[in-house]
Amino acid sequence: MTLRADHAAGAAFVVFGLLIYALSGDLPMGGLSMPGSGFMPKLVAALLVVFGAILMLRGKESEPLAQLDWSDVKHAILVIVIAGAGVAVYTSLGFILAMVLMLFALLIIVERRAPLRAALYSVATTLMAYVVFAKALKAPLPIGPFGF
Amino acid sequence: METTFLSLLHGFSVALQPDNLIYAFIGCLVGTLVGVLPGIGPLSGISILLPVTFGLNATQAVIMLAGIYYGSQYGGSTTSILMRIPGEAASVMTCIDGHAMARKGRAGAALCIAAVGSWIAGTFGIIVLTVVAPPLANIALKFGPPEYTALLVLGLIFLAYMSSTSLIRTLTMACTGLMLGMIGIDNMTGHFRYSFDLPELGDGIGIVPVAVGLFGLGEILATPSTKIVGEVIAPKLRELLPTRREWRESAMPIARGSVLGFVIGIIPGSAHIISSFLSYALEKRVSRHPEEFGKGAVAGVAGPESANNAASTGAFVPMLALGLPTGPITAVLIGALMIHGVAAGPQLVNEHPDVFWGFVASMYVGNLMLLALNLPLVGLFVSVLRIPYAYLYPLIIMFCIIGVYEVSHSIVDVWIMLIMGVLGYALRKFGFDPAPLVLGLVIAPTFEQSLRQSLIMSNGNYLIFFQRGIALVLLGISAVLLLLSAISFVLHRDWREKLAEVEGEGS
Repeated sequence: MTLRADHAAGAAFVVFGLLIYALSGDLPMGGLSMPGSGFMPKLVAALLVVFGAILMLRGKESEPLAQLDWSDVKHAILVIVIAGAGVAVYTSLGFILAMVLMLFALLIIVERRAPLRAALYSVATTLMAYVVFAKALKAPLPIGPFGF
Repeated sequence: METTFLSLLHGFSVALQPDNLIYAFIGCLVGTLVGVLPGIGPLSGISILLPVTFGLNATQAVIMLAGIYYGSQYGGSTTSILMRIPGEAASVMTCIDGHAMARKGRAGAALCIAAVGSWIAGTFGIIVLTVVAPPLANIALKFGPPEYTALLVLGLIFLAYMSSTSLIRTLTMACTGLMLGMIGIDNMTGHFRYSFDLPELGDGIGIVPVAVGLFGLGEILATPSTKIVGEVIAPKLRELLPTRREWRESAMPIARGSVLGFVIGIIPGSAHIISSFLSYALEKRVSRHPEEFGKGAVAGVAGPESANNAASTGAFVPMLALGLPTGPITAVLIGALMIHGVAAGPQLVNEHPDVFWGFVASMYVGNLMLLALNLPLVGLFVSVLRIPYAYLYPLIIMFCIIGVYEVSHSIVDVWIMLIMGVLGYALRKFGFDPAPLVLGLVIAPTFEQSLRQSLIMSNGNYLIFFQRGIALVLLGISAVLLLLSAISFVLHRDWREKLAEVEGEGS
């Protein structure tokens, strides 16, 4: 049997529904006249399992899993890892340093741009965003160890 | 009617105040840019700029955010016509004949027809909204928990029926959204649910990190810069005016698109997207020269562009009158009003007339601003399109981080956005539309509360939903829609396939 996209997606939702059900163990169901805090989550979890199962059963109508276009996955992984690194240092290094580093890394590693141009662009756009948000709009942005 | 007119006049006195005019202008300008730029849609635009409105009052905030929404519908046509890249999803159909017109040297005329059609449709939508929303709000005041439960069930079923993906996929997404919406403290019992000892999750998952992640970041992850290649056909200013024949050919499609778009806009689902598809199909069906579609038919631009603008106005009817979002964008707008202490819904028109009527009046003004902005400034928007995407998307990621962090100064929210970005990317790969997830997230607290209150009221008797007239009618409509879906499933034929055929023939 060919494994298809909806087989995988349906299975993921079945597992998700079962996981929620398992995590809801300590939430009281209550009765119909006084539903508890676990009533709706368990109901929705059951629906997720049902819908996931239907997706799996109708899976043969979908594309084979091996034929899904993953040509952009390298780009996606690189972008999310660099953005994650930027977020990890966002509050400790402060807005300016964290964002300059993140933009520079995206332009150098993902886009293979010239280092000087990438550095100038990263610094200029981050400072511009800082002026707009922190100064003009008075939105408090995280401050790093160097006071900016 | 007289009361409505007087209230509207009061609304104009609010909307025409200089600061409100400025915020409407900023909203329209930013919205047009959001529509023009590929990789950033109205939802991410509104979500990113939501924190900017914290210093404003509720009227100013909603005027600016709504300006971004309908402004993006105008701007989306620019990239469609000049580059054959839809700036946002509702402009997909404009790509076909709009770009074909541009290749024939009629880019200016196509842009002008799109802008004028959008203006007429937008204004038509606001007039109907002005008349329809207040009486509808009065009816909604009679709703109790069972009626709200039935209405939300109908909303979800309608969404699933009208969604661009299958019924099961949409319901799965809506349930995932409902599940996410139940994270945090249970309002009725005080229990912590799925918060994993993280105090930040006690208040639940915010709509902004989810929406920005799924739509903004998810789109960027799925769009490598190598995929964005396109030559811009820049029109000359003197070529902007359509010929008399082109005006004549666009008149009826604009009228039909306005009515069709408004009606579809009221229905939950990705209304502004579906309306442009349906309008294109309708114009092709009624045209005397269907063979011209795909080769630069004026009706193929005028109809869909009018329909998507009227739909974006129609979506405000249930939002303002019932407090119900018909899509993720109106859901974010409801969230924005809540942040400012204003609850959207039937009480809005009586308790906050300044917000309600000021907002309605600002849309009349905003549509005029957009007409004035879009044509003379087309050269400016073309130059924005020349910024390489490789430089643009890192900037958008930075704005996503700022936007999400500024809502509650919580880094946990930013991590949630990144997780949602990955989820949004995966959902795209497997053919799921993330919009119902956002809708589920927004309605989850109301849905759960009204269902549980209904059951408490009836001492656990489910028949309460069938013993009250309004609830019974609403559930009856839901049953009919489910039946229609079942029939099309058995016959292997539904409206999505028909639309896909029209799109395929067009391109």
